[in-house]
Amino acid sequence: MTDPFVIGFGGLAALVTLIALRMPIAYAMILVGGIGVSLLDGPGVLLSQLKTLAYGQFSIYDLSVVPMFVLMGALASASGLSASLFRGANAWFGRFRGGTAMAAIAACAGFGAVCGSSLATASTMGKVALPELRSSGYSGALSTGTLAAGGVLGILIPPSVVLVLYSVIVEANIATMFMAAFIPGFLAVALFLVTIAIHVRIDPEAGPAGVAVSGRRLVTDTVAMAPVAIIFGVVIGGIYLGLYNPTPAAAVGAALVWLHGALTGGLRWRQVREALLETAAISGMIYLILLGAEMLKVFMSRGGVPQAMAESMLGSDLPPVLVLALLLGALILLGCLMDSLSMILLAIPFFWPVLVALNGGDAVIASEAGFGMTNDDLKIWFGILALIVVELGLITPPVGMNVYVISAIARDVPMRETFLGVIPFFVAEIFRVALLIAFPALVLWFPHWMAG
Amino acid sequence: MTEQPRGPGIEGFLRAAITAWALAGGGLLVLVIALNVLSVVGGAVVGRPFPGDFEITEIGIAVAVFAFLPYCQMTGANVKAEILTSRAGPRLRALMGLAASLTALAFSVLLLWRMWFGLLDQKAYGYTTTILQFPHWIAFAAVLVSLVLLAAASGLTLFHDRQDVATFGTR
Repeated sequence: MTDPFVIGFGGLAALVTLIALRMPIAYAMILVGGIGVSLLDGPGVLLSQLKTLAYGQFSIYDLSVVPMFVLMGALASASGLSASLFRGANAWFGRFRGGTAMAAIAACAGFGAVCGSSLATASTMGKVALPELRSSGYSGALSTGTLAAGGVLGILIPPSVVLVLYSVIVEANIATMFMAAFIPGFLAVALFLVTIAIHVRIDPEAGPAGVAVSGRRLVTDTVAMAPVAIIFGVVIGGIYLGLYNPTPAAAVGAALVWLHGALTGGLRWRQVREALLETAAISGMIYLILLGAEMLKVFMSRGGVPQAMAESMLGSDLPPVLVLALLLGALILLGCLMDSLSMILLAIPFFWPVLVALNGGDAVIASEAGFGMTNDDLKIWFGILALIVVELGLITPPVGMNVYVISAIARDVPMRETFLGVIPFFVAEIFRVALLIAFPALVLWFPHWMAG
Repeated sequence: MTEQPRGPGIEGFLRAAITAWALAGGGLLVLVIALNVLSVVGGAVVGRPFPGDFEITEIGIAVAVFAFLPYCQMTGANVKAEILTSRAGPRLRALMGLAASLTALAFSVLLLWRMWFGLLDQKAYGYTTTILQFPHWIAFAAVLVSLVLLAAASGLTLFHDRQDVATFGTR
């Protein structure tokens, strides 16, 4: 038991067991990390760490955008933004076959532009769009599948809380990561729209065309979407152009959503109180996992586990792209066990050293690198790929939180049908990951171009 | 995340206090947001951002998040894996709930004890922020209140988990 390495892997096994037994993930990490460090370095080290560790973690400046984006999303869900987005998109798309489902996807994307969470996007848009889809005669599978998949856009389109956490772990620039997510986000929307088009081509009964709205309605409904465009432009546009840091941007965004909600009457004191408590629950959960992940990281790097994993991967002589695919596959499997936030915080500290080692070590130049790019680019590229695959867990059994959220709203559609309805979108997502692996420029071009 | 009904007596009082403390943390978050907005507007209009906005953001968010933790524990917002044990019997689930609450209680008491000494360190060495010279120990004091409430919240969940175990244990 004196070998740090044995203790390290023993800790990992204990962690997985605890998580599988439904110990809250944060406390499983805290328990294993704390006990592990005490075993390796003696309890004195742990006790002196705890004097400032939590305060130090919670006061990291880059993380301060997290509660702000969470509040922004909670306020956006409570205000009428989602309804006007869906109405506006439906005015354009509704007349086509499958158009109302396409409108729901577009509205999810728009909502994702002010909200950084998948569940919030799925539940908010679900409440708005499901009744409309069902009353327009859309099949249960197509309506619920569309909304469960559309919810994923909440995280894929910046701002994204998961992406912020990834940036903090691998020490990437949040603004650069948000830029990198831009084109892949649009690609997701495009592929989802194509998926619906194919679905209704094969099964025209699933999504009947609606009646075209009058030109006048088209104008008013489009104008009603302007607040979202303005808020997205001010927040994300400001970050892209380097006008301000993500934190002030998130603050301005939250303030604008609040202002809009107060002016349109959607936000009263009761809704604000609910939004604040929801923010408290979600942010508290995220920060506690962060603290646990930090304690676990201290323990694991002391035990040499990430380094050992990197070396064994290096010794396996597998081609880098295959290892990358294996790591992404492992994330998809982990998605069966836990949510995306925990997964990013738990797995990335182990996966990232492996990729750096495969790429050729710390000081590698692009022409000699295993992935043919610098470590900085690899960081961006892998971040976007990881972001996509950790979200897949939200729409696949057995966890599939988005599916549960939508099923809770659509009580007349069996959950099995929802999972079936999601499958085409899942295939579209796998296709997108393959595209991004084959053409890294889809991720890297925009941030490079913005950097000049 | 559903709010459980507030019982009478000590439990009702604790639930109200924990919720109020989380709302106070939310209020602090709103203040930090307002400050950042002012700083952006000030930077754009007057050409001078609010001095020390970075460090106020850091401390304000840290204190606010600590204030969220007891509410998080009380409402069971901490995420768990949902795969293997969803088919396990209610007895195993109740036992794991009990273990989780015990861990939370032990950790909050440990952290309370250690951060008390952290506070004494901060005060003894006179640590302050760089620009505004705000003493860190004041933030630590607010954090300690949060940790006391976190211990109380863990005590509440522990009490309910113990009842669950007693209920399912006899079946």
